[in-house]
Amino acid sequence: MSRTLPDILSKAYLRKPVYSASLAVFRIVFGLMILGSTVRFWLKGWIDELYIKPQYFFHYYGFEWVRPLGQYTYTLFALCGISALMFALGLWYRLVAILLFLSFTYIELMDKTNYLNHYYFVSLVLFLMIWLPANSNFSIDAKRRSALLNRFIPLWTVGSIRLMMGILYVYAGLAKLNSDWLLKAMPLRLWLPAQNDTPVIGDLFNHVWIAYAFSWFGAIYDLTIPFFLINRKTRPYAYIAVVVFHVLTSILFPIGMFPYVMIVSALVFFDSADADRLLMKIKHTWASLPIAISDNVFTFARLRARGILLMFGCFFLLQVLLPWRYLLYKGELFWTEEGYRFSWRVMLMEKMGYAQFVVKDGVTGEKIAVNNNEFLTKNQEKMMATQSDFVLQYAQILKHYYEKQGVRQPEVYATIYVGLNGRRSRLYTDTAVNLADEKDGLKHKTWLMPFSDKIYGL
Amino acid sequence: MKKTLVFATVSVLISVMSFLSCKKDDKNDVTEPGLDRAPMLTNYADNYIIPAYTAMVKDLKSLKAKTDVFVANPDAATLTELKSSFEAAYITWQKVDVLEFGPAEDVSLRMYMNTYPVTVTKVNSNITNGGYDLEQFGNKDAQGFPAVDYLLNGNANTIELFTTDAQSAARKQYLQAVVNKMLQKTEGVGNTWVSYRNTFVAATGTDVNGGLSKMVNAYVLYYERYLRSGKIGLPVGAMTGVAKPELTEAYYTPQLSNLLAQYANAAAIAFYEGKSYDGTGSGASMKTYLASIGTKDDNGTAMADLIVTKLKQAETRLKALTIPIKDAVISKRPEVLTIYDEMQQCVPLLKVDMVSAFGISITYTDNDGD
Repeated sequence: MSRTLPDILSKAYLRKPVYSASLAVFRIVFGLMILGSTVRFWLKGWIDELYIKPQYFFHYYGFEWVRPLGQYTYTLFALCGISALMFALGLWYRLVAILLFLSFTYIELMDKTNYLNHYYFVSLVLFLMIWLPANSNFSIDAKRRSALLNRFIPLWTVGSIRLMMGILYVYAGLAKLNSDWLLKAMPLRLWLPAQNDTPVIGDLFNHVWIAYAFSWFGAIYDLTIPFFLINRKTRPYAYIAVVVFHVLTSILFPIGMFPYVMIVSALVFFDSADADRLLMKIKHTWASLPIAISDNVFTFARLRARGILLMFGCFFLLQVLLPWRYLLYKGELFWTEEGYRFSWRVMLMEKMGYAQFVVKDGVTGEKIAVNNNEFLTKNQEKMMATQSDFVLQYAQILKHYYEKQGVRQPEVYATIYVGLNGRRSRLYTDTAVNLADEKDGLKHKTWLMPFSDKIYGL
Repeated sequence: MKKTLVFATVSVLISVMSFLSCKKDDKNDVTEPGLDRAPMLTNYADNYIIPAYTAMVKDLKSLKAKTDVFVANPDAATLTELKSSFEAAYITWQKVDVLEFGPAEDVSLRMYMNTYPVTVTKVNSNITNGGYDLEQFGNKDAQGFPAVDYLLNGNANTIELFTTDAQSAARKQYLQAVVNKMLQKTEGVGNTWVSYRNTFVAATGTDVNGGLSKMVNAYVLYYERYLRSGKIGLPVGAMTGVAKPELTEAYYTPQLSNLLAQYANAAAIAFYEGKSYDGTGSGASMKTYLASIGTKDDNGTAMADLIVTKLKQAETRLKALTIPIKDAVISKRPEVLTIYDEMQQCVPLLKVDMVSAFGISITYTDNDGD
């Protein structure tokens, strides 16, 4: 691992052939993972609960047009699940990869209440996968057109997936370098005792030092794990750490598929020769399977390769910059959450809010107290009460609703209290500001109250 | 890949082993007993909840007995006895109202017992037309304590209405039906609690199905919506600026409204502090649990204590109100609004600070904590 950065970025290095089995195996496990995730979502009744039952949805800025499709939302999930299966099988790969990326991403954009970092990660990886020759081994496409079979692909293809994972981990680690996480062991200090009835290890979580140990270990783990995974010598131990770490988090926290996505995705760090050896064994048993045995190297057309590399370059530049956009905003990031999403900030805050809205008739001055449960689901209300962009969208929802109800020039006022990482709850917004007049946008929201404390670090 | 499988197996083994070894070390270690949720749930179930339903059933049985006596022989003496039995039961209800989770929530006990204001026209048309079914949702505002309050105190000529009035027989029947329904519902919940008790105490998790989160969510909702808003906020029009005295609890027994609010507030404090139902003992509670977690405000005051202080400030204001709430919301508006403000300050402390520290925020779906 003594290569320097210029070496790594050199054309020769990027084009170094590696076994395509690596990408093929990744395609299969990743596709199956998404299929499993979609089936799980369906069986839990969440399509209905999250995308059909709610009356209102919170959209991402610029994606107001993405909405659930009523009963056809099931069709959308079916499309996503079937695409994922075909993606895994490597059938009509390019088309299916595009469909999978679009359907999965559309689902995630329908309501930002359900934003999860790992869904974002899946979307990004799927975008990369569209452009990669992941069907060049062990795929139905290759069975139908044996010309597709290539035992080798350029290193940068697998490398781009590894880089994406590396960015995720390192930024998740950087985000933990703050005084709440490291010096106060927050929020683990609140979350761990809540799990003290876990069999066998539960008692441990009553100790504050365990919260500190977990916090520090978590930060170091995130910051270093991609480097240990990439290094051949440390890789086995690093992978053990990956499994232990994510299994532990899945036991302790309701984070769904995330641990499994990470455990499976980290396989991409293994030597591509390992994957090839596996496929060779399979080939040995089932000779008819479309597995490459002759040493062909997949080559991109020159222009195409350039195009993709340029696009990937821009993509990764954006990925590297995006988590820092919070620096452009005034105020404490954890409090305002301006620039918080899409930055691999995972499990960083215990944040709760209590929001009460009053709608006032601009002409008569008559006031109506709003019952949030009549508009939002519990999940939506919970998210709305702590995030400024949700607050604003909700105020607009109320404005339009009451306008239709005959309230003239409705004014919307909110009293919101928010508690962050064990601090006493404080007023979150200026109660005197008529939120009906405020515009949604990416600018700093001036009607937020300042954070009463200071959190040091990134 | 084979290696990978071996690594995965080895790592799972290692993690299990490390858990076990940690556990062994832990045995000699001092753990924080206050963070154990089982004793807290046990204290609530055995020393407050189950005795509370027993007391409520007892009072309702007495109410039923007095009702039967009154119906058999409606006169001033039997009416007075009935009224005092009604008031006693209504006061007891204030200590039970906070328990709307589990068996009570399953049957919507509160809805049957205390939906106010009572819709007088509905009560009267039920009496006149007969054929009513009190089980129905549509009759929720024609039964329970508010309906009894109306029937006994809503008119100056109560005894006439139960004797010489053309509808007196039907009215008697209705009064009995309402009281029977209250008793039947409460008895049902009380009986269910006997078996539910073990489920509740064993559910030590902090997820949606855990005993703590069910109880705390019910408590917090109760304080905000049924104590703060129901008893004070809505009648005074705290959020709308327009007083609505007709929304007062026990509207037809004005002097009782204040008493009910005071008992409810006292019950909210006692419940938070883990007092036994009869008030003689106390045990592990939301307060002691919060104290063990140890969150503090900016001045270093324990949140566990701050919440008591704030709840008691509201209590002081409430007790200082001497004229009936339904009149005070008009004639003593600022005073009533102060009570509301004090209560309002408690809501975020309970709903945000306490719930957040308990780590029981709602998690119906996946959540990565952001």
